[in-house]
Amino acid sequence: MNETILELRNVTYRRETITLLDDVSFSLTRGDNVTIFGPEGSGISSLFDIIIRGNAKFDGDVFYKGSSIKSLDYFGLMNHKREVGYLHGDYGLMSNLSVEQNISLPLDYHSAMSASEIKKHVDKIIYEVNLDHCKKLRPFDLTRSEILKTAFGRAIANDPDLLYIEHAFEDQCYLNIRSLIDVLTERSIRPDKSLIMITYYPQNFIDISDEFIMFFNGRIVFRGKKDDYMASDNPYVVQYRTNSIEGPMVIL
Amino acid sequence: MLIEFITKAGRKGIQIYSGIAEFRDFVKSIFTSFKSLRYLRFRSIYTIIINQTRFTGVDALAIVMIIALLLGGTVIIQALTSLPKFGVEGFLGNLLVIIIARELGPLATALIVIARSGSAIATEISVQKWSREILSMELMGIDTKLYIVFPRIIASILSILGLIIIFDVVAFIGGYIISQTVVYIPMDVFGQTLIDAFTFKDIIAALVKSVFFGITIPLICCYYGLKPNSKFEIPIYVSKAVIRTLFIAIIVNIAVSTLFYLV
Repeated sequence: MNETILELRNVTYRRETITLLDDVSFSLTRGDNVTIFGPEGSGISSLFDIIIRGNAKFDGDVFYKGSSIKSLDYFGLMNHKREVGYLHGDYGLMSNLSVEQNISLPLDYHSAMSASEIKKHVDKIIYEVNLDHCKKLRPFDLTRSEILKTAFGRAIANDPDLLYIEHAFEDQCYLNIRSLIDVLTERSIRPDKSLIMITYYPQNFIDISDEFIMFFNGRIVFRGKKDDYMASDNPYVVQYRTNSIEGPMVIL
Repeated sequence: MLIEFITKAGRKGIQIYSGIAEFRDFVKSIFTSFKSLRYLRFRSIYTIIINQTRFTGVDALAIVMIIALLLGGTVIIQALTSLPKFGVEGFLGNLLVIIIARELGPLATALIVIARSGSAIATEISVQKWSREILSMELMGIDTKLYIVFPRIIASILSILGLIIIFDVVAFIGGYIISQTVVYIPMDVFGQTLIDAFTFKDIIAALVKSVFFGITIPLICCYYGLKPNSKFEIPIYVSKAVIRTLFIAIIVNIAVSTLFYLV
């Protein structure tokens, strides 16, 4: 299965006078998991506007499952967003809904499943990410790890082919989200599911990622497989790994 | 001095115009969203409609009934003490229908709904926006305008219609009971006067007003609820939502009354 699920072709994205992405091209094959990293202002957060939101004005093109995102109309974009699972660092759980209602929300809205099928499906996700004890609680009563797990459950509820995770694990205790990491690891070996992980801490996703891409100043400065990343003497990667202020990146 | 005044007035005029244009775009985007009704499964908004109807309608019953009782009593006492001076006490029923059923009932109900639910809608949505709940919905492929605004409009129409009917009934009955402390009127005479004064037009006007209030109140409050870009802007826009909805509600009331009774 070598189908390209996502492709960015010569994407240049400017906001006013600032170039956020500068001639960026990369593609993702179905089943691949990529970790994208770089310092603040490197352009990794701008990928969200291009790949997920799809309403930004940019040069170049982005293709999801072969179709250009740029050419999608209002309803096409809605369908695109429905198809891609997205999890962000603010989680954005509905504060007036319980854990199980939050997870079932995209299914209630989109799915053709019956109410009992949705319940069964949601219960399965709740069990997998270990949220059984708090499934009736609202976000206000949850811990940080439970909030993350709920948001993750909601992101995968529609069983998306591409899951886009942005800074969602940054301030979590990894011991508390062990069950979630297990689900993610299990998902990462599936040949039909892909993952894009946007993070400041790429080393945390060594076991999950097949490929690492580093951005700086809106450009790709490193791209390589897991082993390449770990053994790389690329000056950008070295500087990033060692948290050094000495190197090609001028950090303010 | 004059130039400064003209400049200020011009600037204000442009500000008002761009505000109206922005609201028009918002309303247009809601109409666009209605096209995605085919993607919406009713079960996902059913709970919102129920919750909103309960909050706007059922939970407001007590306050609406108390205000109806007090206002009805005041109007009836004033009518009973003033009409005989002009020798027109026979028009008591007409006066009550004109003041309570046609004007006071719908307007007072709308004001209560704006104060309770309008402010709650604007606050809830702005907090949802600030905590990125609305963004999350968007990114799930949920048409937020449809998901947020549509159920609130349905709930408001149902609630306001119900509250107007209850307001009128309580105002008449309660007012009658209160008036008995001032002057005695037999119940059957009072009832007959009201029945004679009521026309089909009054019922349709009340229905039209409840539909218009039911649309404008959540629409304007949702619009201002979606405006804040930071936490500190939330109270500013909630206040704007309440004041402007109030203003529009009074205009709607006058417009519908003019349409039904003047034209």
